[in-house]
Amino acid sequence: MSISLSHLTKRYGDHVVVDDVSVEIPSGSLTAVLGPSGSGKSTLLKLISGLERLDEGRVVIEGDDVTSVDPRHRDIGFCFQHYAPFRHMTVAKNIGFGLRVRKQPKDQIAAKVDELLELVKLPHKADAYPAQLSGGERQRMALARALAIEPRVLLLDEPFGALDAIVRTELREWVKELHHQIKVTTILVTHDQEEAMDMADQLLIMHDGRIEQSGEPNDLYDNPATTFVHDFLGPTTSFKDVTVRPHDLELLRAGEGSIEGTVLSVTSLGFEVQVVVQLSDGSSPWVQLSRNEFRALHVGVGSAISIRQRG
Amino acid sequence: MNHTTRKWSLRVLVIVYLGLLVGLPVAFLFIKTFSHGFAAFWNEVTKPDAIAALKLSGIVALIAVPVNTVVGVAAALLLARKDHWSARLVTTLFDVPVAVSPIIIGVSLVLAYSRIGWFGTALAAHGISILFSPVGITMATMAVSLPYVLRSVLPVLMEIGNEQQNAALTLGAGRLRIFWQITLPAIRWGVLYGVTLTIARTLGEFGAVLIVSGNITGHTQTLPIYIYDSWEQNYDVIGAFAGALVLASISVVALLILSALRSKERRLHVDIA
Repeated sequence: MSISLSHLTKRYGDHVVVDDVSVEIPSGSLTAVLGPSGSGKSTLLKLISGLERLDEGRVVIEGDDVTSVDPRHRDIGFCFQHYAPFRHMTVAKNIGFGLRVRKQPKDQIAAKVDELLELVKLPHKADAYPAQLSGGERQRMALARALAIEPRVLLLDEPFGALDAIVRTELREWVKELHHQIKVTTILVTHDQEEAMDMADQLLIMHDGRIEQSGEPNDLYDNPATTFVHDFLGPTTSFKDVTVRPHDLELLRAGEGSIEGTVLSVTSLGFEVQVVVQLSDGSSPWVQLSRNEFRALHVGVGSAISIRQRG
Repeated sequence: MNHTTRKWSLRVLVIVYLGLLVGLPVAFLFIKTFSHGFAAFWNEVTKPDAIAALKLSGIVALIAVPVNTVVGVAAALLLARKDHWSARLVTTLFDVPVAVSPIIIGVSLVLAYSRIGWFGTALAAHGISILFSPVGITMATMAVSLPYVLRSVLPVLMEIGNEQQNAALTLGAGRLRIFWQITLPAIRWGVLYGVTLTIARTLGEFGAVLIVSGNITGHTQTLPIYIYDSWEQNYDVIGAFAGALVLASISVVALLILSALRSKERRLHVDIA
């Protein structure tokens, strides 16, 4: 086991921010901590890195108990939400900072910085200042700076939070690939379920300072332990008093399914179509289907329709 | 009024206002000082009493500015991280010396350190006299220039937050290295601005210093007091003008150096974003 957290607890006054969190994170994995804002996920990262002091619990990294070790000696690469660039240093100086602290020979530092600049695709920006970089470039610089010290653990706090949608998806793919290449144990904090599902080997769902459920993303999606996890991991709707995923419902022509109803509204989102159906019991579940599936039904608002749960 | 007219009338208004308050008086000071030629000016500023005053002002500034800079930066570092009522109280206490009239600072120091005051008697017993000496002048000057560095640095520290420091910490840097290599470069404009204001105030202080100095010519006269003395006591108009010009020049040079550094920095795009 690479990182072992046991009974981590952090309070601010009377408020318990992280509440008795215990979890094992396998070596070389990419674990996503997913939760709404205020769920304690960023505080969890700060506790692991030592930037926040624990009230209770133990942090063990690769067999070393680091609970009382100063953050500067934990060998943790931390990427901050706003990247925390050293604004008065060039990109190359930023990346080399941790190596200069470790008093490595100058030529070794230069070689390592060049290698990292290649890795994060910023060799042409070596002498630029952070203010001259785009958001995505700053993010990559921050990653390179954290990786330079060859950390035992990489912690990413909302790494794509401040980027626009296109850059975000690009960088996500790139970080996934990077993790594949270098296999450093990584914990990523996010409030974006799509990002977490896409990137992580392991998911931790946090809610009110506690871990609601942990496991493989698909497993959690299919077998959520609580309604919170169910709601948080994807869209839900209520059908026959049960919470289901709207894409697990199926629409059929009137008379062909188990329950009859009428189409209340149709929302077309390009490839995806959302149809709200009014049932005789007064409930109105919504169904998610593809545009082609919807077209094949030949229905519109007010049409009679049949609905059933996919087997 | 259209946009251009409004813009221009605003500009004219600002220029006239600055001209009446700053431009004209300074121009007249310059003209009057040299009305009897450069030799007369040089003769005035090289008088022994004028040189003694300049020297004393210099010494006071050399002590007060570094001490208040270190105290201001240290206090800002401590106060930026605390949002406690005690922190706000301390910040407010720093402001008191500039919020009240300098005369009050001077009178309070006399009360505390004269022979009728609390400490004065004890100090006098050890043969130490604070009032009517350069020590008292330095104390009064330090008091009135206390908050400038703190006030210029604190907002910068609040704005940059502690992410950069935390990043440096996780990368293995010690507290001293973080201060010299991360924090200080990040706040350097705040510090420089604060130092410039402190220099200006230190050299220019009149009221508080007059009360504690005893105004002993050649011994406890700073430059502003020498100017006042020449003007008011000795009817030496040229001497007063000459002293005033020297004093004004030092402050203007300090401001010019700051703004030159600043524009060089801007060109390097380092301090934006």
